[in-house]
Amino acid sequence: MSFLEFVEGPLFAVAAGIFLFGAFWRIVGIIRIGRKKDIAPPKASAAAGFVKGNLRHFLPRGIFAKRTAVHIIAGYGFHLGLFVLVFFGAFHVEFLNERILGFAWPTLPRWGFILASEIAFAGLIVLWVRRISDPVMRLISTPDDHIGSWLTFIMMLSGCFALQESHEMLRAMHMLIVDIWLIYFPFSRLMHAFTFVLSRGNSGATYGRKGMNL
Amino acid sequence: MQYLIHMSRKLLWLGALMLLLLAFTAPQLMAQSVRPPGNAVNLDDGTEPGPSNALGDVSDTEIWDQFRGGDPANLLGPALDGQAMTTTGQQWRMVRENLIRKYLGWLPLIVIGLLAVFYLIRGPMRISAGRSGKTIPRFSHNARLAHWFMAAVFIILGLTGLIILLGRPVIAPYLGLQANSILTSAAMQGHNLFGPLFIVALVWLFIKFVRGNFFQLVDLKWIFKLGGFFGSHVSSRQFNFGEKSWFWMVILGGIVISATGILLLFPWLVDDIRWLQLSTILHALAAVVLIAVAFGHVYVGTIGMEGSIDSMLKGEVDENWAKEHHDLWYEEVTGKSAKEETS
Repeated sequence: MSFLEFVEGPLFAVAAGIFLFGAFWRIVGIIRIGRKKDIAPPKASAAAGFVKGNLRHFLPRGIFAKRTAVHIIAGYGFHLGLFVLVFFGAFHVEFLNERILGFAWPTLPRWGFILASEIAFAGLIVLWVRRISDPVMRLISTPDDHIGSWLTFIMMLSGCFALQESHEMLRAMHMLIVDIWLIYFPFSRLMHAFTFVLSRGNSGATYGRKGMNL
Repeated sequence: MQYLIHMSRKLLWLGALMLLLLAFTAPQLMAQSVRPPGNAVNLDDGTEPGPSNALGDVSDTEIWDQFRGGDPANLLGPALDGQAMTTTGQQWRMVRENLIRKYLGWLPLIVIGLLAVFYLIRGPMRISAGRSGKTIPRFSHNARLAHWFMAAVFIILGLTGLIILLGRPVIAPYLGLQANSILTSAAMQGHNLFGPLFIVALVWLFIKFVRGNFFQLVDLKWIFKLGGFFGSHVSSRQFNFGEKSWFWMVILGGIVISATGILLLFPWLVDDIRWLQLSTILHALAAVVLIAVAFGHVYVGTIGMEGSIDSMLKGEVDENWAKEHHDLWYEEVTGKSAKEETS
């Protein structure tokens, strides 16, 4: 078994298993914590607040819009760019089709993939340099934040390095880092990819029940 | 005598570079249209190839001279007014192999060496009055983001670019051709992908820093006092002459790198390969010079000068640092005299 076959085969299966099981375990754990019983009579629907809280956070508050414009743009650029290149990159769809799902869907042309990558890279770099150049962000950032950012960056960069498909080693390195990323994910703040719905929803439900205008 | 040989070599390469540059100014009339001579034999017509020594044992350099730059009428008829054979490719190769690859890579190393020597002799520039504990804002958060975004992209492009340029002479002999091939393939993809981000970074940097970076009369004093690096105090506004020079080097060098990079990324934009040949040389030249000077920038911004890094990490600097290095700016921002006793 070659190194590439190992990182794309058994190691990937283990990493994907840890990712799925770990992420599921944490989400269930968060939900099981539940909420302290609120004995005050509800003034409005908590469920509606949950939904509204989630949607409302997609847009910046008016008074903060200008001040936070750069990191809002960078945040959207990175997350949307990453989503697009992961799920619509031809290499990735082909891999998922052949190895896991058994079906494919339309993919981006190469120029679209490159553009999405550039937007994602630009966004991630801006988000990280904000973390080190803003005193408050620097103070509240933990090693986990930096490891998550760097691991994601290295994973994207190794994928970019393998774009020419000229050497098996480059693809193997990318897959190895993908495997490490998948294993690290459930134990880190990268989990925010799933838990943001719960945290925004919890705030939204709490405020919604009290009848606050979100 | 050795000096003369050395100089004549330099002149030879300089001449080659000039020839390449001149090639761009030559009118389109120089375009070739080669017609075969009347007695030419088509070897694809089924006839047997001639003996291996059909051309004889003597190389007739005159023929090649005529092809390359001599009288084309002798070979190709009177209708032609240009050369029969283009040699710009060979000139480009000579410049790239024997000048750029051979010598340019040393430049960053020389700068690092000089900085190390300077550090050992001079040591870090301390804030002579010590830190006051009071700070004043120097750069907005967006300005810092622009700076660090450029820094990140610059580092990635610098590393990948150096691998592409110097991989063959520097990496291959030690790690082998296979490893060099892998590294170069990876570096090329990374370089191509991050290239456009450099243009974004350059525009952002320009917008955020152009104000205050125009040269002023006060900069002359900075030049005469060698920037205060050797003891004497020197006045400056928000940016001193060194910082302004660095800024304009980045902007102008960045424009050259961006323009040539676009041509190399999209070669079909031009129909003359000489533009691409010139682009590779200018691209490498501007990039390596910027990389070399960037080491100086990093030195002054970190271990070379106490308190400098605060401006880019926190956005604020110590008042005593400001009084010492940017006194006129300090007075402008605070309305107080920088000559007052330092707190």
